[in-house]
Amino acid sequence: MKKLLLIASILYSTLTFAQDTGYFFGGFESNTQWLLNDEGLNFDAPKDQLRSNNYFRLDYNLGKFTAGVQYESYLPSALLGYSPKFDGNNDIGTYYLNFKHETIDITAGYFYQQFGNGLILRSWEDRQLGINNALKGIRVIFTPTDYLDLTGIYGKTRNGFDVSEGITQGIDANLNISEALKIDRIDLDLGVSYVGRYQNNGTNDTIPSTVNAYGGRLNFVAGDFYGGIEAIIKDPDVIANEGQLSSNKLYDGTAMQIDLGYAKKGLGINATFRRLENFSFYADRLAEGNIYNQELIGYTPALTKQQDYMLTNIYVYNAQPRLIIETYDQRAGEVGTQIDLYYKFKKGTLLGGKYGTKIAGNFSYWAGLDAEYHIENRWYKAEFIGKGPRLFRDVSVEVKKKINKKWSGVATFQNVIVDKGIVYGGPLSVEEDIKASIAVLEGTYKIKGSKSVRFVAQHLWAEKDRKNWVAGVFEYNFNSNFALYLADNWNYGDTDIHYYSAGGSYSKGRTRFAMNYGRQRGGLICIGGVCRFVPENTGLTANLTVNF
Amino acid sequence: MKKNILLFVFLITFNVFSQDNIPNVDLKTMEGKTISFHEVTDQNNVVIISLWATWCVPCIKELDAISDVYEEWQEETGVELIAVSVDDSRTVKRVKSLINGKGWDYQILLDTNNDLKRALGASTVPLTIVVKDNKIVLRHSGYSPGSEDELYEKIKELTL
Repeated sequence: MKKLLLIASILYSTLTFAQDTGYFFGGFESNTQWLLNDEGLNFDAPKDQLRSNNYFRLDYNLGKFTAGVQYESYLPSALLGYSPKFDGNNDIGTYYLNFKHETIDITAGYFYQQFGNGLILRSWEDRQLGINNALKGIRVIFTPTDYLDLTGIYGKTRNGFDVSEGITQGIDANLNISEALKIDRIDLDLGVSYVGRYQNNGTNDTIPSTVNAYGGRLNFVAGDFYGGIEAIIKDPDVIANEGQLSSNKLYDGTAMQIDLGYAKKGLGINATFRRLENFSFYADRLAEGNIYNQELIGYTPALTKQQDYMLTNIYVYNAQPRLIIETYDQRAGEVGTQIDLYYKFKKGTLLGGKYGTKIAGNFSYWAGLDAEYHIENRWYKAEFIGKGPRLFRDVSVEVKKKINKKWSGVATFQNVIVDKGIVYGGPLSVEEDIKASIAVLEGTYKIKGSKSVRFVAQHLWAEKDRKNWVAGVFEYNFNSNFALYLADNWNYGDTDIHYYSAGGSYSKGRTRFAMNYGRQRGGLICIGGVCRFVPENTGLTANLTVNF
Repeated sequence: MKKNILLFVFLITFNVFSQDNIPNVDLKTMEGKTISFHEVTDQNNVVIISLWATWCVPCIKELDAISDVYEEWQEETGVELIAVSVDDSRTVKRVKSLINGKGWDYQILLDTNNDLKRALGASTVPLTIVVKDNKIVLRHSGYSPGSEDELYEKIKELTL
């Protein structure tokens, strides 16, 4: 607390003389929940009924320098589903000082950085998921020409209000070949990365204290076609599970991603192929696979479509990059593909109608690696693609249409197959798959000006698990600042539970306030392809953000 | 709780001194080139910056709605809309095919590691800001059908 007061008073006192030359910017965000007992859900509110995650960020810029601090408070306890190391704590989470001048950019303190597509290194903040793996150390970005940039990083990963045991170092270089060699017909970008983690191996000499990963990538744009490839290899390292080393045996890891796309006005197609084998990289070797996504070095998101509705978000996929060789669970990674298509039927055509019609389709397929395992020897061998166990298959189509000046609608259909182990945690491809079909119809009616009403009707068909669901949302926008909604997910096929909720939001200028009351369905909540399990709960939630 | 109240007090104090200046963050163009946010806003007199993502339904609704009238807006006021995608590496590959499939004419920039989103303190998208002479003159979060008309009224006030 005293630390905060000191920093704040220094900043405050420089305010008057700084008014002419520098400026402040920042914001405050508060997410609070008040949990309540609910007999219908068999939910007993825990002892700490009031939970709150608060973030206060203040940055100051003066010429070429920028400095900032982020103060966080999780009092009396952090929101349900967040790492318990935050409970009851409040402190300065991150701070930094940055100098930026022409070709050089230096940051000391906590910084966020991504190399390539993030597989080898990504530090970012996602407050909804409780992820903040900012690196605390030093970063230098050097841009000698407009087609070459070099980045060097060195630091420890943020871990709660502390830092990781392991030290991460890395170098990344990007070269735009077309710009450098003055090639016009094709745009070619080359990148190379190196990331290494040093962590004391204590008395265990058989395991490495430094583990290195090397990556290369090439991206191109040629007319309407575009694509790229990124591949990474990781030095042999141990694997850990639930905070303990599985054995002293070392295994290397690989990641490979290929993207291809075609886009011209009115049509866009893109496809991705990715293969991950023993590809988890944490700032602490024992943090592997932790459920709170703490101390990550790289970012391995699930490459599936982020679905838009309540019932289409029940059966979702969580990426499976890990290697586990145990009697109860064997897996080595994942391989799969995703394809997206966007098309617009022009106005005046048969399917286009008066205003045009937009369709979007998505297909994704993910399987575990086709591998043989020898559990006693802790040995495995995986095929490159092969025919591994299917973990997830999703097909969906969405049609958006503006019908007339007042009405517009969306119709969506999805068919998904998911492994039970993905949905509930636990060993994979042991129990039967869950298959579901979901249909959604949404309509928006513009009453006048920015007054409108929106309603959504959804239905899920499934023979197993929790069987059928029906859901509906009704939302009324009074104007562009204020809206109220009512929603319900009814599991009539099995538990007969209604997951109802009602709430509203007010947003004007720099402030946004939202409040809702109701039941939260338990399960995977995925944001940006990274998921966390949210336990079922009932309560009142309030969110406030103010920026300045 | 007391500490939370203290935060509120600091907040109100700084609110008084806020200058609505734009943060100087680096973004990438669809061709992979780096461009600073200041360079972007310097190019035009009045510019609309819309933070969106391929997975954000109201963002796409807003950009679709404006896309229908964008040509008129530009003819009448010369305003420019720059759509900054906060898609991270999970969904960024979808940006190019989506914007073409929808037939949008906006300048698109990528904020893949969310540096701009963090600097603007955007906890959710869509976030729409209007910048004039390098100062943020309007800020709105969320979208409901018809709010693009209100946005346009404000743009007309600023340009005509």
